Amino acid sequence: MGQSSLVEWMATAVTSSHELDDFESVVRLHWLKIFRFALASLRDRHAAETLAQDCFFRAYKARDRFRGDSSVSTWLMQIAVNLVRDHIRDRRLQFWKRARKTAVDVTAAASWIADNGASPETAALRKEQVQAVWDATGSLSERQRTVFLLRFVEDMEILEIAAATGLKEGTVKIHLFRAVQAVRDRIGKTK
Amino acid sequence: MIEHLSAEQISQWIVGDRPWELQEHVAGCAECRAELTRMENALSQFRTAMREPASFVPAPSWRQPEPRPATWFSWRRMALTATALLVLAAVPVTWRVRVHEQALREQADQSARSALADSQLLETVDAEISQAVPQPMEPLVTLATWNSSSTEQNQKSQER
Repeated sequence: MGQSSLVEWMATAVTSSHELDDFESVVRLHWLKIFRFALASLRDRHAAETLAQDCFFRAYKARDRFRGDSSVSTWLMQIAVNLVRDHIRDRRLQFWKRARKTAVDVTAAASWIADNGASPETAALRKEQVQAVWDATGSLSERQRTVFLLRFVEDMEILEIAAATGLKEGTVKIHLFRAVQAVRDRIGKTK
Repeated sequence: MIEHLSAEQISQWIVGDRPWELQEHVAGCAECRAELTRMENALSQFRTAMREPASFVPAPSWRQPEPRPATWFSWRRMALTATALLVLAAVPVTWRVRVHEQALREQADQSARSALADSQLLETVDAEISQAVPQPMEPLVTLATWNSSSTEQNQKSQER
């Protein structure tokens, strides 16, 4: 590590650890990102809200252990990814519980998109495409979906995704490639 | 020269893996460019939809969790106490079992030794009993045998 990069790393670490001092600001700043990821992963607004709250609560409890190796955002996402994974496992185990029953309707992701003055045909096509991607992500494996959402919704770089998921860079690429193929297959059907 | 991008190559491109030969082909192929644009637009629309405020739940106001009051009861403390008690209870029991086992072993050794001595004594006694006369009196027996045989000879000669 060169001197300048060491200084940069130390500066990031100090900034990041100071960032956690004002935890209310951390919640305000990162809430939407964490909630969005939880919602897209779980498709249950209530569960996503609970998970996001749990994520910040855990981060608050573990804030002394944050060493600034990554940004606060990546660190929070790492906690969220683990919580989503645990939640999905629990849901698989509690098969007698009908998760769908309590899920608030988030099956129509296309309804979130604004028309912004587009022609009815264009708006319809857009909604159709969004819905196709949403449906495709629903049929992905948990890892593929996580990697896909972090890349194409949260705009995270491959290395950041690797840090947040604890996967190797190559593994992230493979999951992403398969996810994109599945999504493309689904979009192809909407042609 | 590639004819058209395969499904894998399109996914490869979208993921961000764009080797020179793919770039060259896309630059010169309107059909593949259109296909890539279509895919990129769909992903972009999806991203926009996911970021629309309509889908959000506002951030809750953060209230710093109050530290838990220190209580004498905790599961960890209970587990440690239980383990310590178990160890304390197990030590004298183990010690007593060992002492008992040692005593039994010594007793068994003692019994084996006395049994051996008894059998040796019995053999000696048997050997002594099986003799007709005690060992110190054996010369007398020889003498008596010699004496009785000479008496019989005398009687026979007198009868003649």
